[in-house]
Amino acid sequence: MDLQLDNVSFSYRDGFRLEKISLEIPSGSFLGLIGPNGSGKSTLIRLMSGELKPEEGKVLLENRPVGSFSPMELARRMAVISAEQYFDFPFLVRDVIAMGRFPHSRRTQRLQSGDEAVIEEVLRLTEAAPFADRPISHLSSGERQRVLIARALAQEPAVMLLDEPDAHLDIHHQLNVFRLLRRLNAERGISVVLVLHDLTAAAAFCRRLALLDRGVLITHGDPGEVITPEVIHRVYGPDIMVYLNPVTDKPTVALGGQTEPSTGGNQ
Amino acid sequence: MDAVDSMDRFLVHLVHVVHLVHSAKEHPMKTRSATSLAILLLLLAATAVFALFMGPVSDASAVIIWQIRLPRVLMGLMVGAGLAAAGTVYQGVLRNPLADPFMLGTSSAAAAGVMMAGALHFGGYASLYFMALAFALLSIVLVYRIAQIEGKAPIQTMILAGVIVSLFFNAAVFVFFSIFYRESFNTLFYLLGTLTEADPVLIGISSVLIAGGLAVCWYLSRDLDILTQGEQTAQHLGVDVERVKKMLFTAASCMVAAAVAVAGMIGFVGLIVPHMLRMIVGPNHRVLIPAAALGGAAFLILADTIARTVVAPIEVPVGALTALVGSPYFVYLLRRRHRHGQF
Repeated sequence: MDLQLDNVSFSYRDGFRLEKISLEIPSGSFLGLIGPNGSGKSTLIRLMSGELKPEEGKVLLENRPVGSFSPMELARRMAVISAEQYFDFPFLVRDVIAMGRFPHSRRTQRLQSGDEAVIEEVLRLTEAAPFADRPISHLSSGERQRVLIARALAQEPAVMLLDEPDAHLDIHHQLNVFRLLRRLNAERGISVVLVLHDLTAAAAFCRRLALLDRGVLITHGDPGEVITPEVIHRVYGPDIMVYLNPVTDKPTVALGGQTEPSTGGNQ
Repeated sequence: MDAVDSMDRFLVHLVHVVHLVHSAKEHPMKTRSATSLAILLLLLAATAVFALFMGPVSDASAVIIWQIRLPRVLMGLMVGAGLAAAGTVYQGVLRNPLADPFMLGTSSAAAAGVMMAGALHFGGYASLYFMALAFALLSIVLVYRIAQIEGKAPIQTMILAGVIVSLFFNAAVFVFFSIFYRESFNTLFYLLGTLTEADPVLIGISSVLIAGGLAVCWYLSRDLDILTQGEQTAQHLGVDVERVKKMLFTAASCMVAAAVAVAGMIGFVGLIVPHMLRMIVGPNHRVLIPAAALGGAAFLILADTIARTVVAPIEVPVGALTALVGSPYFVYLLRRRHRHGQF
């Protein structure tokens, strides 16, 4: 299922503006949105999900404007894991995942056996089965992230949008989440679009990257074309090292140059 | 702090006992919910019987029991059920267990509507309910408008807006009171919350409105479950958030207006009951809404029995009693939130 952005512009009241973004996201894509803080990555995700309406241009899903779908229709095609997360209510993990079946059921119906089967399957896929009967409020951040991915999968979407799925996770859990997303992308053909801060992880796991800076799409393409010293220095500043990891052969980004605070009067 | 701790421990024990009873029989989920609701129904029946026969022995003639106490029990049943269910719905939609018809200003607004209808001699049941519901809805819209930022209404500003709106309508109530009712002890009693209303038509209309509100909220219980995950998330899961929120607020406000029309402002039932029952039956609204309705009914009938017997033959307004219990409970919830990061 194709997702397409055609000359999309959007501005906030505070003056920040996303300027004429065009992107093609064909079925089965694995696209990372990268860029410095305030570059417009999350805004772009929210435009794709229909949460924000573009001022100019179009966001199309199956050649239809995203805004023309009913919430139910859209939820059957697209799952979104936003940065907004509430765990105040002690729902069991299984119940949280069952919410992903909402767009596939009628309001007055209880869960059908087909729904139960999907829930069992996504529990297995995300390895969330061991804590299926615990309240979500009692889980660690890594476990919660898996539950949210499981709930998104229960929607049986063609496209998944994720806003910083690696936030608050340690490096081990980050790796697990990225591997899981890659697997879902490869085995089920689900398009994945995600906002990422970690450039090295972005280069390692995404098949395509789109780099934004101050509301403008600087470049997009293979990680090897986007994460180059020239581009990264232009956007993030000169004190960043970009090199090819000799083991993975992927571009790697690290703090470089002068790491001590400059003392001003230094010779 | 000690009080908070021992309250915590007591509730944890209570929850454990309930879970033990359930798990001993290896009930599947559905049976478990059914068991909880059955227990609550028994509790309600026992409370009602207790309320009917509680009082000085010489007074316990058939006339007193069936003509004075029975209507009060029925009033307690529907007002308690309505307030607790409305509280459950407000808490779910606002994702804040401190939300309560009282806190959001809905009760004050409905009372202002009732007072105005009476003060201006509009007369008739229709105008009384119309004013109560119109003011309750007006207060929710006001709370919403005040709280809205960039098309969204964040929870914190909404609670704050509720406090402001309730202060405003309280002031309106007291303006009407001082101009039109200053001689009337009954009106003061009504404002503090009481189940002494004797008009069967009033009781009948309120019962129908509360039953209707309950049905709408129960019908939307799955949407309400999903709304607790956040409004953006709910929208992405297929809930038509703005529409569902409007329907839930209207249904809940309708229950509050109906309760206030017969019983005045009885606070904190909608705060205490849903919170306790959420710990026992869990957060799924398909079970929680009927459980809160049954629990709220039992709670208010019991509170009213205490209110009329504790310093008999003098009677204490039941609203004052629930506030005496409710305010410390509110503090307990705040402290608990502060320490555990959750409710």
